[in-house]
Amino acid sequence: MSDFSRQADRAITEDIVSIPLDFPHPRLWRLFFGMSLALLGCFFVSAAVLFVDGVGVWGINIPVNWGLAIANYVWFLGIGHAGTLISALLLIAGGHWRNSLNRFAEAMTLCAVACAGLYPILHLGRPWLFYWMAPYPNTMDLWPQFKSPLAWDFFAVLTYLIVSLLFWYIGIVPDLAALRDRAKSRGRQVVYGLLALGWRGSGRHWARWQQAYRLTAAIAVPLVVSVHSEISLLFAAGPVPGWNSTVFPPYFVLGAAFSGFAVVLMIAIAIRHPLGLDRLVTDRHLDRLALFLLATGLMTAYGYLAEVFDALYSGEGPDIDTLRDRLTGTYAYSYWAAVIFNFLPLQMLWFARLRRKPLLLFLVALSVTVGMWFERFMLLTTALYRDRLVSSWGEYSPSHWEWALFLGMLGVFLTPYLLFVRYLPVISAFEVKEAYRKTGRLEDA
Amino acid sequence: MPFDPTTEPNRRPPAEIDRRSLLKLMGASLSLAGLVGCTGSHDENALPYVRQPEGVTPGIAKWYATAVTFCGLAQPVLGKTYTGRPVKLEGNPDHPAAQGKSDAFTQAALLGLYDPNRSRGPRRLGTPVGWASFRRWATENAAAMDRRRGEGFRLLTGPFSSPTLARQIRALLARWPLARWHILDDGLFTAERAATQSLFGQSLTLQPSFDQASTILAIEDDFLGPGPRQTLNAVQFGAARRKGDRRMQLLVAEAVPSATGAVADQRLALAPDEAATLLRALAARLGLGIDAPAPGSQQEAWISKALATAAQDRTLLTVGTTQPAALVKLGLLINERLGALGRTLHFSPSPFESLQAESIADLVADMAAGKVETLLCLDTNPVYHALPDLDFTAALGKLPLLLHAGLHFDETAARAQWHLPLQHDLESWSDARAVDGTTVILQPLVRPFFDVRSRHGLLDIIAGGEGNDDRALVSGTWRNAWGEAFEEKWRAALFKGFVEGSRPETLSPAVRDRSLELETKSPPRQGLTALIRPDATVWDGVFSENAWLQETPKPLSKLVWENVVQIAPALAARHGLADGDMVEVSDGHIRLQGPVFIATGQADETLALTLGYGRAIAGGLSEGIGHDAGLLRRSSTPWRCDGLTLTPLGKTVPLAFTQPHQQQEGRDFVRSVTAREKAVETDIAAADFYPPRPPQDPSWGMTIDLDLCIGCNACVTACQAENNIPVVGKAMVAQGRAMHWLRVDHYTDGPGDAFQPVPCMHCEQAPCEMGCPVNAAVHSIDGLNLQVYNRCIGTRTCSSSCPYKVRRFNWFDYTAGDADSVQAMRNPQVTVRSRGVMEKCTYCVQRIEEARIAADRENQPLGEVVTACQQACPTQAIVFGNIADPGSHVSRTKADPRNYTLLEEANTRPRTTYLARIRPEDGEG
Repeated sequence: MSDFSRQADRAITEDIVSIPLDFPHPRLWRLFFGMSLALLGCFFVSAAVLFVDGVGVWGINIPVNWGLAIANYVWFLGIGHAGTLISALLLIAGGHWRNSLNRFAEAMTLCAVACAGLYPILHLGRPWLFYWMAPYPNTMDLWPQFKSPLAWDFFAVLTYLIVSLLFWYIGIVPDLAALRDRAKSRGRQVVYGLLALGWRGSGRHWARWQQAYRLTAAIAVPLVVSVHSEISLLFAAGPVPGWNSTVFPPYFVLGAAFSGFAVVLMIAIAIRHPLGLDRLVTDRHLDRLALFLLATGLMTAYGYLAEVFDALYSGEGPDIDTLRDRLTGTYAYSYWAAVIFNFLPLQMLWFARLRRKPLLLFLVALSVTVGMWFERFMLLTTALYRDRLVSSWGEYSPSHWEWALFLGMLGVFLTPYLLFVRYLPVISAFEVKEAYRKTGRLEDA
Repeated sequence: MPFDPTTEPNRRPPAEIDRRSLLKLMGASLSLAGLVGCTGSHDENALPYVRQPEGVTPGIAKWYATAVTFCGLAQPVLGKTYTGRPVKLEGNPDHPAAQGKSDAFTQAALLGLYDPNRSRGPRRLGTPVGWASFRRWATENAAAMDRRRGEGFRLLTGPFSSPTLARQIRALLARWPLARWHILDDGLFTAERAATQSLFGQSLTLQPSFDQASTILAIEDDFLGPGPRQTLNAVQFGAARRKGDRRMQLLVAEAVPSATGAVADQRLALAPDEAATLLRALAARLGLGIDAPAPGSQQEAWISKALATAAQDRTLLTVGTTQPAALVKLGLLINERLGALGRTLHFSPSPFESLQAESIADLVADMAAGKVETLLCLDTNPVYHALPDLDFTAALGKLPLLLHAGLHFDETAARAQWHLPLQHDLESWSDARAVDGTTVILQPLVRPFFDVRSRHGLLDIIAGGEGNDDRALVSGTWRNAWGEAFEEKWRAALFKGFVEGSRPETLSPAVRDRSLELETKSPPRQGLTALIRPDATVWDGVFSENAWLQETPKPLSKLVWENVVQIAPALAARHGLADGDMVEVSDGHIRLQGPVFIATGQADETLALTLGYGRAIAGGLSEGIGHDAGLLRRSSTPWRCDGLTLTPLGKTVPLAFTQPHQQQEGRDFVRSVTAREKAVETDIAAADFYPPRPPQDPSWGMTIDLDLCIGCNACVTACQAENNIPVVGKAMVAQGRAMHWLRVDHYTDGPGDAFQPVPCMHCEQAPCEMGCPVNAAVHSIDGLNLQVYNRCIGTRTCSSSCPYKVRRFNWFDYTAGDADSVQAMRNPQVTVRSRGVMEKCTYCVQRIEEARIAADRENQPLGEVVTACQQACPTQAIVFGNIADPGSHVSRTKADPRNYTLLEEANTRPRTTYLARIRPEDGEG
């Protein structure tokens, strides 16, 4: 091993591991952390009101008996998908450039899945009985109803959460050991030491680690496709016009990846400069992410077209009516907002020059995130508010408690994420080093 | 924070009777009568309807025949009680005026009994006092009145038909000859009395026989709408429409859309003054020697159709009681010419006992003149109900002493020195006559909850008596009448629910005077005309405090918890108004403000207003809701007000509809066939991935005949009472959270207006069941789509999937805040649902199980099961039963070619199906 590569290794480790040990912008961090704590407080207040008074504090009704909660559930879960996609799929496919992105993308997945997992519980009429969805031995001799997409949901989200957590944690163990070794204070040494599980970097450790990491990745990859396909069945498996369509599973998966890449892009742009990671998260990485965003965006757009075609081709009255409601009805704004926010700014990414402008990319990604939220909201309300029977038509507007819970959920997302950024290595140091050795270029790492 | 009844009707302030005292009361009555003796906890002398079981078995219901009164007339019922608690009322099947059926008011009378806002004890100057102190006053007063022969004492009552009350009042007036008795009449029968008086020389009650008619011409007469005759009329109407080939034809001409107009074979929208034109033209065409102006082309068509169908067979023409007496008389003359008298139209002596009373106008004049010292308002509320031009309230200022006896501490009670709470009909001994004249003895289903007296007891106290033996007061009347046979007849009357043979013979009076005092030319009208009618759910305000009725949707508009200014689309367009826009209606002096509702089919220059709102019952449900349209009434024209202006106020308020959209949008939810081609077309081949379920016996199913449904809401309220359905308030309904398991959809663009009751369809392939993750929505072997409340965690997936949206969700804990008395009213056989649980129509599974258990115990085949909605339905539109039995009624109706499935394309295979409406032949309608 050459001195040159040793030096480079050390520099990379220094760049990454020094961040938690000697955080570059503590005051800025505290400001953001304070704000996210405020949001978290908002979550606890709105959840308390919800639990005490009942789900009636929301604006939902008959016919629109699912509202922001389910829209946000799908949205958060979709965002999470990019983390797994980048980490696991590209690990197996051998995309070395992923190594600069996977850690913070995976952490984002974890936070997003946690938020997504909370929503279906909060939205229950009797949330304290949520565990009835689990197949556990009980004196009532009752199991979940396995025909129900909601029972599948329960397994999907739980599996996804566990696998993501494992994958992320297995991946971070070597870097935790590096932190442990470099930590100055006793407290940090103990905490990082415990979390590092006694990692010493021996050859046997690395061999076992490789097995575990690749195996978990192999489990995680199908989840990228299966989880959101399954979520779409929550809608598509029922007989509701506008939901009951076979295009839903791929449409949902692509939309999930689309929104997830947007959020990863936003996070990458947001953290690379303040944390001094410009050398590791380069414009080339942004370019790659932007290309993925463009690709998944176009595929999602195809989903929109397929959905329209599907309704028209079926010739079914109720499906065509729902399509008309989407394009021109009370909630047409959500359809057109989804189309405009998702696909209009996206077209700029055709140009390589524009793909390397961080601010522009950030705005495009933000637009996609907002657009995808509108899409989730649109899919939910437009199918429900005008069902088959005219007499039961009704409209829905989210109550302020629903919005408060949404704001609060952003706190649930941001608070652990900011803790991660502050106290853990945001980039996988050893994987970057590995890639660097293989390719000899930091750009490709 | 002030209690807001519009948002939280169930969260009432804590009741004065707390749980402990209620339990004590129930416990005491149980131990006194129930467990020790064998007569139950009802009044000792009441008799069970069928047979008296040995001892009370908790959980086994007992039925008693009695009645509730409405507009002074008896609505005969059987009351179902569990250990002394009445939980459900059903029409008395043996009584000729009910035939087992009932209307929404009668169903909701149960809540009237348990109403937590009822007055609970006497008050003097608003302060609670005991009855003893009132009796002291009454004894002194009686002594003074004896000396002064009743001078200055006045009694004011509403219309009533109780022979006992009449006997008591006559006795009082005989004892105090200078005292006088006045009546505050509701005016429902005024025109009919005047018309018969003029035509026959005697004041009579019309007894139309709709079931005998093959053609009915109804002019401004909503005979199928709410009112004391609704049940009987609807029963007869149903019978007439069920006659197959000889199905009755109904032609309606009216200014304001009504239930009758909605189910008519032909409906003509009339301006208010055109009713006279139409009647005159019809009379002229029939050769009655009346000169009539030429009617408009639409009227001409209506008349031609009427005469064409009328010529064929038995015809009956009815003119609404809101019309001038001269028009009612003209209607009677037309009926005479059509040969209806004695065939489809009969007459009987008035069932009312209150006809001898003097008018309230005399009372007000005497009050203003200072001739009245003491006024007792017995079960009447003149401050709210007296027509405003009488100026009763102003005359009150000169009245030294006002006594008010009523169920609520209402507007009159607030002005009275003494307020004396009365018993509800279901807890008192009394007697009354039904619309057909048959006498009912009212027996109490339960001892009074509160410290209240009956009307009879109260009059007894006024006369210086004890006022605590109502039964003796009532039976005394009949002991005199029946003499020797008393015991036997009394027992039989209590047992059956009415006095056998008390229905008066129908009369065939000779016509004495055919002269007509018709206005030859209708006066030129300026401005708009308001047509003022009792409200379809709270009537004239007597049901204002009844939460079930407040939340029962108005049959046509589907509005709840308020009254509106209903206008025609043309008028709305002229003023640029939309539903919910606030307007001011003014006659120059009185100004009413209310939201607009636009009704298709209404005459252009009219406003339809309903009574019963704008109440001021302190702390009551109805406080601050709606406007009092009664302020526009005049003694000369109590049902209309001319020369009004309409001013938009530029504000919009949200209206609470249970059904915001009332057009079918080109779809065919309500299907129709012509009488000739009876079969409903179906072009959908049912496809199924699954093997068919093996046929089960029994398999429950239901049909609803849309040709018979009159949208009266009896089924809705019956379902509410049977299934412990909570009331959620206006704000919740406006948000789409009404809880009714059974709704009656109304479409204005069907074949005419159309009603469609929608309970759970109990789909054989139920989409709701597939989505439930916890097995809360499951299918029973006999075809019921069940909801297991204690398994439900509230994911609401079932409701998302339900194409019929019949599932209802407990968004809040609607039942926990119920007053103790309301909790006592609940049907013990039906689970009270908690927060976060989905619920829906069960086909009254508790009734099915009851029948099954009975059959198992007796080792007999399962007998007939009747759901609550079916039981109440006066036209028998709803048929329920075992579809596996080819001989069952429901199997026969399912075999009808008119049978069709709602949303057939959804392929859910509902067990509830509909029979298509029968529309007039093309080119005729």
